[in-house]
Amino acid sequence: MGGLSFRLKAAPGERLDIRALTPGRLRGLANAEISALVIGGSKRHLTVGDVFEVAGDAGDTVTIQPGVATLDFAAAEMDSGTLIIDGNAGAYAGRKMRGGNLEVRGNAGNYLASGMAGGLIHIGGSAGDNLGGILAGDRFGMIGGTVVISGSIGARAGDKMRRGTVIVKGKTGEGAGTRMIGGTIWAEGGFGPAPGYMMRRGTLIGSTVERLLPTFVDCGRHDLLIVRILSRHLKATLGDLAPKPMPLFVQRIAGDMATIGKGEILLPAD
Amino acid sequence: MSQNAPSKIINGIAIDDTFAEAFGMSGTGIIITADTMKWAKIAAVTATGFGTSVIGCGAECGIDRELSPDETPDGRPGVRVLMFGFSPDALVPQIKNRIGQCVLTSPGSACFAGLDAQMKIGLGKAPRFFGDGFQTAKKLGDSRYWRVPVMDGEFVIEETTGVTTDAVGGGNMLIVGKDRTGLLETTEAAVAAIAKIDDVITPFPGGIVRSGSKVGAKYAGMFASTNDAFCPTLRGAVNSELGSDALAVLEIVIDGLTSKAVADAMRVGLKAVTDIGAGKGVTRITAGNYGGKLGQHHYHLRDLI
Repeated sequence: MGGLSFRLKAAPGERLDIRALTPGRLRGLANAEISALVIGGSKRHLTVGDVFEVAGDAGDTVTIQPGVATLDFAAAEMDSGTLIIDGNAGAYAGRKMRGGNLEVRGNAGNYLASGMAGGLIHIGGSAGDNLGGILAGDRFGMIGGTVVISGSIGARAGDKMRRGTVIVKGKTGEGAGTRMIGGTIWAEGGFGPAPGYMMRRGTLIGSTVERLLPTFVDCGRHDLLIVRILSRHLKATLGDLAPKPMPLFVQRIAGDMATIGKGEILLPAD
Repeated sequence: MSQNAPSKIINGIAIDDTFAEAFGMSGTGIIITADTMKWAKIAAVTATGFGTSVIGCGAECGIDRELSPDETPDGRPGVRVLMFGFSPDALVPQIKNRIGQCVLTSPGSACFAGLDAQMKIGLGKAPRFFGDGFQTAKKLGDSRYWRVPVMDGEFVIEETTGVTTDAVGGGNMLIVGKDRTGLLETTEAAVAAIAKIDDVITPFPGGIVRSGSKVGAKYAGMFASTNDAFCPTLRGAVNSELGSDALAVLEIVIDGLTSKAVADAMRVGLKAVTDIGAGKGVTRITAGNYGGKLGQHHYHLRDLI
């Protein structure tokens, strides 16, 4: 095990790109080489050593403390190991992450898990807009992996999401599942207005919906086996982070009928 | 395999100094669940029907064991079935037809991978098209589940299951008796004991074969024909393997996902026969082989006693 820890010296005066601070990327680097890594985006070319005190030895875990909202691209393209941010993370955390674990003990910014393909992200607080979403030039949003948000999330989560699972203990903002192609968003605290706008496939599971789009149709009350399979899978893989199982019967609302209509919103049935 | 070979006597039953000769096969496992164990078994029995021998049935199939709700992906009662064929490719149409015709159609059923192996074979890849475009998939971890709308809700089926080419088909024992009823009861007990071993099936009716076969026939086009040397009514007319007190012979054929599983199954089967057989008229246990020249796996009876 073992691992490196990065203690923030002072709040950086600019946004930092910390994608290099993952166990895989730091493996094999001497501490002097790590300190020389450029993480600033301005003409100041801030290095790791300018911003952090580095301690420990390279291992499977990297810890950053305290985390602040200007630390962008945490765990971007990470493929193994664990990155712990003891505090907040900025935008694009978990961007195109392929494996390993990202634990953010505070809040995360916009575009969390954008293009994520694998691994597990747990956000102890809340997350911003476009979780699991798509950036210009991407073909899809999130394409795999699991994200658990202990708080709530902003608008347009899962935009062009194709695979993977997002669990939100709180509530989603407007337009969760916009243009969704597949995967699952499970919002225990319910969905904000207009979930599933132009969604083709995929599943939105939640306790309530603030306002349904008129292009979603009620398919009735059903005991869907796939919900049970999903619950058991999440319990087996996430343990205490898994959502509470849905009741046996759910109301199945299909849409968006403005596209191919193979997506669905599942709500507890009366 | 001759009746003149020296025999070892266990609890009054002669154990021939011979071996069962078995063949390498491809095998796969499939979990079938339903709302009740009754309906899981109905689907499993139907899907494994007409699955006694690869020669005429395309695959050798049977129920390995019942599964509690804790052991199935959907938390419902289930059954694990095994299917064996000449190759993974030969199993593809068997799975497609048996699952498509017998499990998809069974009320409340669902179907999952029943073997964790590196090599995969299609399970729901073909049956999903029954959904006529309304089917959808959900990928969880490494597994993809297809949801096919049907008249009682949704048929859920995993896309693939594992397949192994290390399976063994044709482990066997021939049980000779002088009382047909007692012989059947003893053989049933052996099948029941074998059923407790994981990863094996006894694919013939009730696990028992009364028409043991030899390779070839006098008629062109027949791959197998009656094993005349073990037919008691031909005892005086052919070069018989049976002694004068033999009234009937029953065979148990065993297929397993591993050679060890087949050996374990034969071991408990032999024990069951020697434990109770003498009192029921069983006189001898022998095994079928081809001189050791055809099958890769040899199970010597005396090594298993």
